[in-house]
Amino acid sequence: MALHRLNCRLPFRCTLRQTRPFHGSGCGHPLRAANQAAAPIESVRDVFRTSEGDPACHSEQHLGRFYTLQPAELRSLFPHGLPPRYQQQIKTFNEACLMVREPALDLIGCLKRADYTQPSLRYLLYGPKGSGKTLSLCHALHYCSSQGWLIVHIPDAHQWVKNCRELLSSSFNPSRLDQPIQAAQWLRNFRVTNEPFLSQIKTTERYVWSKRESTDAQRPLGELVEQGVLRVKSSSDVVGAVLKELRVQSKAGAFRMAVAVDGVNALWGRTTLRRTNKSPVAAEELTLVHNLRKMVKNDWHGGAIITTVTQTGSLYTPSSAYLPQELLGKEGFDALDPFIPVPVSVYSEKEFESCYQYYSNRRWIQHPHGRAEEGKRELDFLCGKNPSLMEKLCGFL
Amino acid sequence: RVFQVRWSRYNPYYLEPEADKEKYRIPESELSEEDREQRKLKALRPIKAAAPDLTSSVFNDPQISKFVNMMMQDGNKVLARSVITQTLESIKRKQVERYHKAPDAQKEEIECNPYTIFHKALENCKPVIGMVSVQKGGKYYQVKLCGSFNKACSIFNPPFFVQVPTPLTENRQRFLAMKWLITECRDNKHRRTHMYEKLSQELLAAFANEGNVVKRKHDLHKMAEANRAFAHYRWW
Repeated sequence: MALHRLNCRLPFRCTLRQTRPFHGSGCGHPLRAANQAAAPIESVRDVFRTSEGDPACHSEQHLGRFYTLQPAELRSLFPHGLPPRYQQQIKTFNEACLMVREPALDLIGCLKRADYTQPSLRYLLYGPKGSGKTLSLCHALHYCSSQGWLIVHIPDAHQWVKNCRELLSSSFNPSRLDQPIQAAQWLRNFRVTNEPFLSQIKTTERYVWSKRESTDAQRPLGELVEQGVLRVKSSSDVVGAVLKELRVQSKAGAFRMAVAVDGVNALWGRTTLRRTNKSPVAAEELTLVHNLRKMVKNDWHGGAIITTVTQTGSLYTPSSAYLPQELLGKEGFDALDPFIPVPVSVYSEKEFESCYQYYSNRRWIQHPHGRAEEGKRELDFLCGKNPSLMEKLCGFL
Repeated sequence: RVFQVRWSRYNPYYLEPEADKEKYRIPESELSEEDREQRKLKALRPIKAAAPDLTSSVFNDPQISKFVNMMMQDGNKVLARSVITQTLESIKRKQVERYHKAPDAQKEEIECNPYTIFHKALENCKPVIGMVSVQKGGKYYQVKLCGSFNKACSIFNPPFFVQVPTPLTENRQRFLAMKWLITECRDNKHRRTHMYEKLSQELLAAFANEGNVVKRKHDLHKMAEANRAFAHYRWW
């Protein structure tokens, strides 16, 4: 034990003045100690960073550390997926750093070991408000994209069940309602994320959009997406067609698909939308929601379904609810059952320390007392190690 | 039920509350005579109820609290405080973004601490000298002279006011600086921008000695300089 402690302390000798020893009292992890000695490339002063940018290689030794996402990857992978405050942070710090945390590592481990000839597994991230579910989802998506999977990412399903200006009656099924603007926007972002696949995948049947417009079989998927982006009126049906094609073809095994839905409890909740005659709209009467429900069902194989349940942005749910049963309701839970629950908790001691050091390094904590021990203890007390609260507090400190 | 005690008239016997933890940590030996007396008094005399915005937090700043109180409307302190925190955050964001994009040589010159920027901007907006209206002249009436002259002479001076330059106390200077900042942001900016955005722009300009508030301070100084001759009208 003493030998391991000595191993841990050696690289940090010059930083003991400035920072607390990063590994606390229970630091006898032999693997970590050995890897510390074996990886001198990482700058000794930036203990909270890791130079490993590939999520496939992240393991327990990187827990609690920040890895950097390259700007090119960021623009293609996440045109719409990141939370707005995180996007502001990327702009301010001039870099995109994500913390490697346990829920994301568990997810990635499961994704590595799953059998893709079986029906796709459903993962559900849940946890208290602001604990990091969306960013864990983004980390898992980064892994999927680095392995060359096709990404179907719905950044916030709640945006589809509220605040919709235009609701058109669907031409395909008169009882359903279309949302042209949301669908067109999603198709544009889908196009940005999956550029290489759009020319490889071919449609399997003919789609007729109106008297003069149709898409034949064996045309590239890119054409279908173009059709949806240009002709906004039929974009919701295009979304349905695209999802159906992807479901059918991933079974064939040409590619792996990752369906990521943030706020999946919106699909089985209430909506605030009303028809022109002021009657309320139920969730299943929306084309987008109907198609997405089919996507989240595990009747296809060759991929994974990663979802989050969140109270932020959800409608008619109490703010203290965060468990899947409370947020999904009976219908949603039965539809998603069986799933693999992944709990996302607030920061541990080590993660809090790491985050604090990252903010200090990036010149974000500017208050002179904030840099001292007293201020750090007060910050810990005020935010209760909740990641989003800590970010908001450090904002004005 | 909560009874408002703080703003009622306290017996002068009561002492003010002290929230700063550091003051209590100083041992007996390092205190001066008056401080030792004060500590003994605190054990004996009753203490007034603490004001709602008095905290023992290390991040407490009395100037920021004053500014929050001045911005508050209809008693909505939560809103005023949130506007100020958003202002500080937006100042910090702009400065940190500039810091990270600047080349290494210029990094040292960029000030990122929103609190120092706020204090320095307030300093730059404080007027050194102010103006007070003093009444001069007054009504004089017709005076009839009796006797052989039989001529009435009348002197009629209507009352008029002159602006007289006066020194300002510390409190008055701080009040004027904050008031000008707030009115400038409320009145003279584009309607659709948020208050925190307007405030952050004005504070950053004042930090660099530019902007409308600093201009107003300079105008006041010039008027005081121009009315220098009337300074002897002041009798206090």
